[in-house]
Amino acid sequence: MSASLTPGDAIPLITRTPTSIDLFQFSAAAWLLHKIHYDLPFTTESDGHPGLLIHGPLQGTYLMQAVQWWLGSEIRPTKIAYRHSAPAYLGDTLECGGSVTEVRDNSFDVDLWVRKLDGTVTTSGTATFNRSD
Amino acid sequence: MGVITDEARSWATAPFPAFEMVISRTDIQRFARAIGETDPVYFDIVAAREAGYPDLLAPLYFPYIIRSHASHLVSANQLEPDGSASVDVPPLPTDRAMAGETVIDFGAAIHAGDVITMEKRITDLYEKEGRSGTLVFVTIEFLFTNNRGHQVFRESFTRIYR
Repeated sequence: MSASLTPGDAIPLITRTPTSIDLFQFSAAAWLLHKIHYDLPFTTESDGHPGLLIHGPLQGTYLMQAVQWWLGSEIRPTKIAYRHSAPAYLGDTLECGGSVTEVRDNSFDVDLWVRKLDGTVTTSGTATFNRSD
Repeated sequence: MGVITDEARSWATAPFPAFEMVISRTDIQRFARAIGETDPVYFDIVAAREAGYPDLLAPLYFPYIIRSHASHLVSANQLEPDGSASVDVPPLPTDRAMAGETVIDFGAAIHAGDVITMEKRITDLYEKEGRSGTLVFVTIEFLFTNNRGHQVFRESFTRIYR
């Protein structure tokens, strides 16, 4: 499948609306104790956010999944770099996608992003994946 | 006007003990469920072996849970009021933090049964004048090695304090 990759190819969108169960599972699996992901009064009253935050690293996994859910979990990256530009809150629907930017014999580069339905980009980055022909 | 004190500099250069985690099938299954994976190579040992893996395959960002355990698997009095690990909070006049860039280099895949050792060090600590005051950048590097001596993952993560 990756043999036919061409620069400009769009990565099929994945759409996620994490629930409170998803946020709890991610915190629990990581033994992550930050209250901004489960303690609503603390998050709104002490930390000044309008709601519970969707984890940055969970959005990082969405970037990796956008490529692997398209091409298969045997397609592995060598490098990824990403940054967060806006918070995402419980209740937000997030779309994750991107495009192929460069294709070489044994690897390819992609731009990746996570955005809200209003177009606000919450996380974006670049990655290099190995091709497996 | 500098806000990075000698105390902050010595925090940044103090060594962190290495953290070791024996990766169980349950650890992998739990994380794979948490991120919504459906490929059976993360859940089903037969499917994983048929796909050529020695045991359950760990999802790409699995090392995140190792570094999170390394920070948070401490007694309650070693946590800040917001639940973050005190050891991760630099001695600065502010604790208002934003996430900066994350850069990851991937190495060998992780499978159930691997013993992963994580080493952590502060690789950068500097300040910049921003429009709203001084910003302090802290870059932390996490290096993950398996029990066969292969690097499996390297993550460099920058936090910005303002």
